[in-house]
Amino acid sequence: MIQRRRATRWISRGLYLAILTGGALLMFVPFAWSLSTSLKGLSQAMTYPPVWWPHPFQLSNYTKIWHIVPIGQWFINSVLVASAVTAANLIFDSLGGYALARVKFPGKRFWYMGIVAMLMIPFQAVMLPLYIVMKDLGLLNNYGGLIAPVAVSAMGIFLMRQAFLALPSELEDAARIDGAGRFRMFWQLSLPLVTPTLLTLALMIFLASWNNFLLPLLVANRSSLWTLPLGIVMFQQEYFVNWPYLMAAAVLATLPIGMVFLVFQRWFIRGVATTGLK
Amino acid sequence: MQTGSRTRGATPPRRARVPGSGRRREARAGLLFLLPSVVLLFVFVAGPALYAFYLSLFSWNLLNHMHFVGLSNFSGLWDLPLFWTAVGNTVLFAGVVVPTQTLIALGIAALMNQHLPARGFFRLAFFFPAISSSAAISIIFMWIYNKFGILNSMLISLHLYGPNWLANPVYALKAIMIMNIWTTSGYFMVVFLAGLQSIPHELYEAAAIDGAAAWQTFRSITVPLLRPTTFFIVVMGVIGTLQMFDQSFILSQGTGGPLHSTTTIVLLVYQFIFSYGKVGFGAAATVLLFVFTLLATLGINRWLGTATEY
Repeated sequence: MIQRRRATRWISRGLYLAILTGGALLMFVPFAWSLSTSLKGLSQAMTYPPVWWPHPFQLSNYTKIWHIVPIGQWFINSVLVASAVTAANLIFDSLGGYALARVKFPGKRFWYMGIVAMLMIPFQAVMLPLYIVMKDLGLLNNYGGLIAPVAVSAMGIFLMRQAFLALPSELEDAARIDGAGRFRMFWQLSLPLVTPTLLTLALMIFLASWNNFLLPLLVANRSSLWTLPLGIVMFQQEYFVNWPYLMAAAVLATLPIGMVFLVFQRWFIRGVATTGLK
Repeated sequence: MQTGSRTRGATPPRRARVPGSGRRREARAGLLFLLPSVVLLFVFVAGPALYAFYLSLFSWNLLNHMHFVGLSNFSGLWDLPLFWTAVGNTVLFAGVVVPTQTLIALGIAALMNQHLPARGFFRLAFFFPAISSSAAISIIFMWIYNKFGILNSMLISLHLYGPNWLANPVYALKAIMIMNIWTTSGYFMVVFLAGLQSIPHELYEAAAIDGAAAWQTFRSITVPLLRPTTFFIVVMGVIGTLQMFDQSFILSQGTGGPLHSTTTIVLLVYQFIFSYGKVGFGAAATVLLFVFTLLATLGINRWLGTATEY
């Protein structure tokens, strides 16, 4: 009886592992296929039925696209914009989250509810009025337009508020007796204690900004302002037959964020789990 | 809110240090800290949302003078077959993608929660598509969906003949659905996994002592106790899919084709500004999308929102 149960347990565990392995393979195949295509010559990429192993390895696709399109400029733009957006969010979201968690001021509940309501308005939904507002503010075709609309995130404020709420209040009471002002309490006392949450926030915002497609599409007409996602889509519309080039560009856009993810995956996943569960 | 009142209660009685002025300084600091966030969120989120209601009452092509037309943009949309095509595509997309990705995410999370080896590796593999950009993924899938691409060649080896996915109006939206499910299931799996780990282990031990089968345990412990997580995932999924834009835009090169089969509401809004120069129509469609999203969220709240008592 016990032996039989143990046997079924092993069989079911084997089955589970097989399902997961199959699923993981399914996740992996599209990336592997794009990598494989990016290393082929054009004629080998177009042979049918397709072959998996590039022969010969044509690494030159990666160097050639730098001459065809300003991918270096797009790369710099992506890094600049994502870094600026991340820095702005770290400052503003933590200040706002701190105020909502720690400071007493009139109308606090109202502001809190207002910010929670912002969570329900996705970026795409307000695309049209936002475009007109940005046009009126002179935010089209410049870096300001790529940064300002996403410089604060309601989700980020919420995340930081939760982190500050979890700190014990005795700490600040002691500082208050010493005559410390609110900003000093925030900057020197509380902020260092929520560093893990700051890292999670930084990763989530950087990822979202790096991958953002719609905002650059609305803001940037000039190719010198494009970020990598917008650039490779425009590249695709122009060179839609040269799949090795396109796959090389897709790999280049995925690689940096993929490496950041591999290094910091614990914090990424923590972020998803905490914002997912509140 | 409940935590807010707790901190208020925990604050010790105000010390004798200059009464009143300390409180005012505190209030000023709080508002000052919150100011940048409030201003930016108002200008770029709440303001535009309200502005959409205003714009929906005008006829405007961004160049001429706006003139007030009342609700005629709404009646104009109502009579526009393309609008209903977009609504149909969007609802179909959400209706297929949300249940499928939720079930797949739940299934994989439940398997991953079984103390199997290489769990970290599997979590990484399933999560990886969720961190890649929609642009890169869409371009990779354009190549995979190519008529003579890898997908059709794999199907042929199974003696199935795949269509020219993205050029065929019957299959283009389905192709985007498959891609979307592939991308987001892993993300929601991580959320489910966190929810699963918060279920007390004693419940499973008790079920095991009672001799409950795995499926029975899953149905009567896991699923009901995961309800808050499921609620969150379904709401996020519905909001996300109702606003689908990037994938349709990229795979159809901005046209929403073939034959408008991949035109979503948001893509139509985009075309109203940039192709048709009908800002009022776009704003009216935006307002309807708000209402529609709100109704869907409220509906899900009635269905899944109430907590299960144990």
